[in-house]
Amino acid sequence: MTRVFVTGLGAVSPCGMGVAPLWKTARAGAHAIRELELFDPSDQRTRLAGEFSGETHAGRDLLPAARRRLSRTDRFALAAAREAVDHAGLDSGAPWRNAGVFFGTSTGGMQEGEQLYPDVVTDARGAAARRRFLDCLAQPLGSPAEAVARALGARGPVETSAAACAASTQALEVALGSLREGEVQLALVGGADGLCRLTYGGFNSLRAVSPMPSRPFRQGREGLSLGEGAGALVLETEEHARARGATPLAELAGAGTSCDAYHMTAPQPEGRGAALAMSRALADAELSPARVDFVNAHGTGTPHNDAAEWNALREVFGERAGRVPVTSTKGVVGHLLGACGALEAVVTVLCLREGEVHPTPGQGEPDPEAAVDLVVGAPRSLRGARVGVTVNLAFGGANAAAVFRRVDVASDDPLDDGGAA
Amino acid sequence: MSLDVVITGAGTVGPPGAGLEPLRESLREGRLELSPVEALPGRRPGGARLAGRLPEDPFQPWLSPREARRMSPASRMAVCVARMAVHDANLEKEELAGPGLAVSLGTAFGSTTYTAALLQQALDAGPTAISPLLFMETVANAHAGQIALALGATGSNLTISQRESSGLLAVARGADLLRQGRAERVLAGSVDEVSPIQHHVLDRVGALARPTPQEDRELPRVFGAERDGFVISEGGTVFVLEPGDRARDRGTPILARLTARARAADPSAPLGDWGHGAEELAERLTGELRRQGIDLDSIDRVVSGANGSPRGDLLEARVLRAAFGNALPPVLAPKSVTGEYGGGFLASALLALDEVEWAPGPGCAQPDPELDLPPHDGERLAPARRLLLTCLASGGSACWLVLDREPGA
Repeated sequence: MTRVFVTGLGAVSPCGMGVAPLWKTARAGAHAIRELELFDPSDQRTRLAGEFSGETHAGRDLLPAARRRLSRTDRFALAAAREAVDHAGLDSGAPWRNAGVFFGTSTGGMQEGEQLYPDVVTDARGAAARRRFLDCLAQPLGSPAEAVARALGARGPVETSAAACAASTQALEVALGSLREGEVQLALVGGADGLCRLTYGGFNSLRAVSPMPSRPFRQGREGLSLGEGAGALVLETEEHARARGATPLAELAGAGTSCDAYHMTAPQPEGRGAALAMSRALADAELSPARVDFVNAHGTGTPHNDAAEWNALREVFGERAGRVPVTSTKGVVGHLLGACGALEAVVTVLCLREGEVHPTPGQGEPDPEAAVDLVVGAPRSLRGARVGVTVNLAFGGANAAAVFRRVDVASDDPLDDGGAA
Repeated sequence: MSLDVVITGAGTVGPPGAGLEPLRESLREGRLELSPVEALPGRRPGGARLAGRLPEDPFQPWLSPREARRMSPASRMAVCVARMAVHDANLEKEELAGPGLAVSLGTAFGSTTYTAALLQQALDAGPTAISPLLFMETVANAHAGQIALALGATGSNLTISQRESSGLLAVARGADLLRQGRAERVLAGSVDEVSPIQHHVLDRVGALARPTPQEDRELPRVFGAERDGFVISEGGTVFVLEPGDRARDRGTPILARLTARARAADPSAPLGDWGHGAEELAERLTGELRRQGIDLDSIDRVVSGANGSPRGDLLEARVLRAAFGNALPPVLAPKSVTGEYGGGFLASALLALDEVEWAPGPGCAQPDPELDLPPHDGERLAPARRLLLTCLASGGSACWLVLDREPGA
């Protein structure tokens, strides 16, 4: 089977622009969840969020009118994609002639839609209202992927997965299939989502948010913290990567998806769907669960999610479940919704590269009802770690998981570690 | 593309009603069914007023009122057509349910009705007034999730959203799930609703056809000289996809074989509009089909996703001419009858494999000579062996599917 390598990483997160501040914050066991400034969260259960504050410089090569019409989410997508492409040592244009762009998002340009809505219902007139109508062209969920394809000059498939919080992990599965099949040799995979009032109010209405920064897998956890940003990965076939002398950062070894078919917002309590997604991803990677060195969990910090996820881990790893190191990047940046899968994939690759798993921030004792081996306090050194799993659970019951494997470039056959599922 | 993927069931609901037969009749008569859309305060004089709306209560017996209460209009349509498709495929829920059953659904906008209601709640009473039920159904994958709940589909659950190409991409993805061994059966299709806010915004950005003094109603003049935009319709279509040998083993009729798919992007497309990369799109189309063993010469007819958009139809015509040259087979343009979005286009493709005698849509009287591509004039066409289904989306995404008639069908 064609092997697929990760050769570039990009991120926009509440920690700042780029992969470096994200990894620095995560390693330090810190978080970037603070008072929300983007809009007024008065009367909500929380005033906190993982908000990106800074300048992405996205679209700086565009004409002013085109740049102005990028949504906040489009800008995140473009900035993360640009960093990943630069990291991979690629230019835009020629390399992307037969390349694909696969993205995930949950809200797209909803924030711009919210700004337009009062104009629509009150018949606002004038230049500003007209501009907001045109801004709405970037509201559909496909817009971030299109913006990236446009910027790169990509002529292969462009496809947006819109399965809420599993969206960009699903995009990894789509890209993996496309690369293995030979449809493309190069792909940009990512996820992007911006904070908006609708999701902020919606998660509040479900009482799913925590008044304090989220504390995944801790006793007494009260919910999630919302966040925003983007993650991006350059994927290419082994042949393509080797032909151009690219440095593989990791192998995307497998992916799997499933559905709870249980409830529209609550996870199946025994974690059956999440377990199925992880098992399918491992089978796709031809790896047994025994080969997994750590898990970057969905880990939202809601009581139901973390408990269900623990049950899923028990289903997949059996007696070993409590000994597999687990971290939650959401404790660092909040829940990036459709972008969380891509950003957590970026972090999973970093953990493999650096040989350590970042700690999950948050106070409190581990929850005995979700008794994962949670990495806390300081990075957990895993020098020999070869396989990391990342998993996401979504509204509508959708689940998705991906398996990344370390690539040891010093070896001729670095991935021959046996352990077929 | 080695696995033989077939369509064994279809469910559809749209302005003509529920099921394939009302749609077939509309296509045969070239009848475009449009109804008024509630006007929002900012509607301009001369603006679009109409859209394809569902007839009253088309969901019986597929959806109970109790179930419907928990769902957005798009979710109701999605569950309804999924159940119709399963019934059409001679399957029972009990034999389908489980991890082998996947869902792959395309939607361009999700539930804009509920999104608008949620925004109105927040505007009227603040964000704390937001209803959890409405919020849950505004998430784009709610419709696919509701299908999974209704049918016990614990396999992959995918939602694809790429403007006009969402439905084709979702069907292509569904076929991929089977070919990659990730599912045993897939419910694949598309769904979209019409809401006043969606209609209003599309009109204000210039995407929709406008009424003319001659007609006093808007028409999608697909490939027409005076085309000025598209009309939108609500509805949904879901196909049952399964491996061909499995379908033949259980003796169910095969409605079509899904033989190949191609995907591409046109990076010259500006935000929300169509670009000019016809040669490159055609190159990608022919190259991808060749890779899957399909020669364009083998295609009997094209079922075009052109919708009456000035630049979209121009690009479509140029792509088809660049790909086929002078050997272009008859080009059917069902969106002149079904409108854009919803599920009418996907369902039309299935009907287009049969003997076809479709009257031109009411807006197609004057073809645009610049396009050098008159849509089919309504002359009877014998059943097709193979057709190409096309969709170029605003924003640059493109998807093509090749459907074959099952030998002996």
